[in-house]
Amino acid sequence: MKSGVAPDRSDEPDRELAVRVLAGDEPAFRRLYQRHTPRLFQLALRLVGGDTAEAEDVVQDTWIKAAEKLDTFRWESTFGTWLGAIGINVARETARRHGRRREVAWSDEVEPPPAAPLERLEPVDLERAIAALPDGYRTVLILHDVEGYTHEEIAAELGVAAGTTKSQLFWARRAVRALLAPEAKGQIS
Amino acid sequence: MNDPNELSLAERRAFEALPRERPPRSELEDRVVVALQRRGLLPIPLARSAAGAPRRLTPWLVGALAASLALFVGGFAMGQYVGSRSGAAAALSGVQASRGDVAEVAAHAERAGVIYVAALTALSRLSDTADAPTRATARQAAITALGAAASEVAHLAPDDPLAAAVLRGLNEREQEQRPAPSTRSVVWF
Repeated sequence: MKSGVAPDRSDEPDRELAVRVLAGDEPAFRRLYQRHTPRLFQLALRLVGGDTAEAEDVVQDTWIKAAEKLDTFRWESTFGTWLGAIGINVARETARRHGRRREVAWSDEVEPPPAAPLERLEPVDLERAIAALPDGYRTVLILHDVEGYTHEEIAAELGVAAGTTKSQLFWARRAVRALLAPEAKGQIS
Repeated sequence: MNDPNELSLAERRAFEALPRERPPRSELEDRVVVALQRRGLLPIPLARSAAGAPRRLTPWLVGALAASLALFVGGFAMGQYVGSRSGAAAALSGVQASRGDVAEVAAHAERAGVIYVAALTALSRLSDTADAPTRATARQAAITALGAAASEVAHLAPDDPLAAAVLRGLNEREQEQRPAPSTRSVVWF
């Protein structure tokens, strides 16, 4: 697969680029795209469970929505945070549209078996386990344990109660441990 | 560790080691830009080389466009050749009636194309006897039809290079003809 361009590291502020994008400046848009898409794509790829084509669709739809709303963005957060929030919602819409469910031993409705915290864990195994989670668990786990969101932020983003995200994180961590337990590792596709 | 649901040190390190950025395929950037252009969120640019420098349209396309423009001259006969409004309405109703049958609609498109070219040929023959305003009106009608057709082809096949080149050429022509404004304006949809 042909790899993408390197992220844009020029120092022109996002806000100035955004103003130029609003005036129809395509190079300014490309600079914004190159600066923020690598992070957005990685987030989208995890949220959709590792499907590259689907993640690309999420990235495209996210940029379309961002461009549509750019003139109303108040710059009370960073552009990257705002874009990521749009990406999370687009990824959830995509998952709903596709009605996707992972082939795992349990679903969102069935509790994973208890499993002890792992004392040895490779990132590559963790990535595969995250991809194998049901959508609900995966989203909360990624936002909290990978992206560093608080439960309140996740709850606001997903439109649910903070108690719900805490509960989902509990089960998501247990599910990851169960998937990565030595006797279950071979079951992750 | 008090709470068994808290991440162990190994787990925390594995989460921290996960990459936060991943560039998508480089083709996605152009795909996103085209998607924005199709929605009117970015203007359709002048023809550009891969390096970003302005370039001329390929000679065969310039020839084709020039030939088309030549055929547009003498537009006063357009209405006479194509027929009455009732004839156009009948043709339109035929297209609408064939919704859902792709082959039939494609046949309509082919017939319309033949009529379009025949009308332009007739215009070319009759152009000597037309006054300048009439010729300009007919030429504009023909170009509008050409642009609308290219736009629909671009919707049908976003990667079609000919449709994109025609749209760029028409956009370039429009920009050349437009008087230089004091401030740049962008149309938002």
